[in-house]
Amino acid sequence: MIKELSVEALRCVEGWRCVQDACAATRVEEGFTSDLLSDIMANAPAQSVLVTLQSHLNTVAVASLAGVRAIVLCSGREAPPDMLEAARREGIVLLQTHDNQYQASVKLEAAFRSGCVGS
Amino acid sequence: MKTIPVNPEQSPLVILDLLFKLKIKDVMSSPVITAVRKDSLRTVQHLMRDNRISGVPVAERGRLFGIASIDDIIRALEGGYIDDPVERHMTTQMVVLEDDMPLSFGISYFEKFKFGRFPVLNKENRLVGILSSRDVSASLLVELHNEYHKLEAKLPVSAIRDVNTVTRGFRVERYDFENAGKAAHAIKKILSEQNYPPALIRRVAVAAYEMEINLVVHSLGGTFTFHMDPEKVELLAVDEGPGIPNVEQAMQEGFTTANEWIKSLGFGAGMGLNNIRRNADDFDIQSAVGRGTTVRATILLPTGKDAPPQTP
Amino acid sequence: MKLEAVVGALKCQVIHRGGNFDSKDIRNVVASDLMSDVLVVDKDHLLLVTSLPSDQTIRTSDIVGAHAVLVVNNKTLPASMVALAQEMDVTLMQSAVSKFDACVMIGKLMNPP
Repeated sequence: MIKELSVEALRCVEGWRCVQDACAATRVEEGFTSDLLSDIMANAPAQSVLVTLQSHLNTVAVASLAGVRAIVLCSGREAPPDMLEAARREGIVLLQTHDNQYQASVKLEAAFRSGCVGS
Repeated sequence: MKTIPVNPEQSPLVILDLLFKLKIKDVMSSPVITAVRKDSLRTVQHLMRDNRISGVPVAERGRLFGIASIDDIIRALEGGYIDDPVERHMTTQMVVLEDDMPLSFGISYFEKFKFGRFPVLNKENRLVGILSSRDVSASLLVELHNEYHKLEAKLPVSAIRDVNTVTRGFRVERYDFENAGKAAHAIKKILSEQNYPPALIRRVAVAAYEMEINLVVHSLGGTFTFHMDPEKVELLAVDEGPGIPNVEQAMQEGFTTANEWIKSLGFGAGMGLNNIRRNADDFDIQSAVGRGTTVRATILLPTGKDAPPQTP
Repeated sequence: MKLEAVVGALKCQVIHRGGNFDSKDIRNVVASDLMSDVLVVDKDHLLLVTSLPSDQTIRTSDIVGAHAVLVVNNKTLPASMVALAQEMDVTLMQSAVSKFDACVMIGKLMNPP
């Protein structure tokens, strides 16, 4: 059902804004939705896109451990400067949206399905 | 050690009155179970177990020599000297109370010295009792119950029988997640029974729940009260500390002091105070470090032609 | 969307079937593990999807008036949570699918192609 996608393609999802795109050439393969850092650490698959509410430096740390390549911050949460900096250092793409985690998950899967490829 | 759920400086007058009226001797446990100096720590341990107590004074013919606590026993078991005489390991640096002191002294001692119990001496320096925090709580409950009946007898009947006015108080303890939400659920039920619109009920319930959660997560314990009359619902959370150093900062969305354990329960995201304010028509917070925080939220109820139909 | 459709698509186990289970119509979905987050949701006819199996999940759902709670990720539910769902009559369902997949499947039920 899910194809792999260039992280760059996430930019063209409606209502999503990329705030850190240092490594946009990375390939991503699936989605993972969670707000619990322990859960992300234990269960997020490598090469995945994390959909979460947790706009915190620690989210980048656990995402990096799990091999997550992009984080979508939901419900209008904004990444604090230290989180942006950590994401840049770890090569993790950061996006922000007013979608909630449910809506963002649905859109992410649609992006995977349509294979919407950015330039 | 359990602290006493009464703050001598901020409690209602009726409690302050009781604290001065009651003497230590009215509240203490007496006679006291004691050991003698030559008793082994094992004997003391059995005394504790058989009597379900956590401290045993060491005294002979009313003269107090020391006190042995459960901690002393645990150390003895770990250190392998449980058969030593108690006099070698008991605490001799003791703080004692006098039986004629008002209970308020006793309570301030618990706050000040962090002991779980205090031996009580009479004017002749003889051991006559022991005061634990449990004694204080239990006796205060009994006395308050009596006091409550006296006060209720004095009230005009209509004030407490008016079906449209409801006042309820809940004690909320630190980290007691299991009981947080009971007050919110109760008030939700009352409003539902009176046919208020669901959106309004949700505002009240959410504000109440956030206030309870705040008490559980951030305070050392406190009380949550709701008062409802035909015009409004008033929610009041009063805690006993630690107080908020910077209220403006605490009001910022996302600011939190909650630890990881709290966050793992899905709370402590730093949205609570804002959410209370968002749902209330009137909101107020007062806080002083070392004293505590008071949060008040008022939600206006529809009246007149907008009032919900009352079911008989 | 009816709850029965969710049960079928996600192979849910219905732990407590609340009153009016069949007639309830889900129009909004919130997928969150943070109850603080759920408490700011201002929507009716709500289904809460979460991987947090706790008493507070039930209390929060009751407070915001959610129609049902779906616990995903194959979590074990504490007995106290189940008891509370029964006591408060909050519909409680459980599924082994991940939260991401649950959102995707529910999204398809909510907006059929």
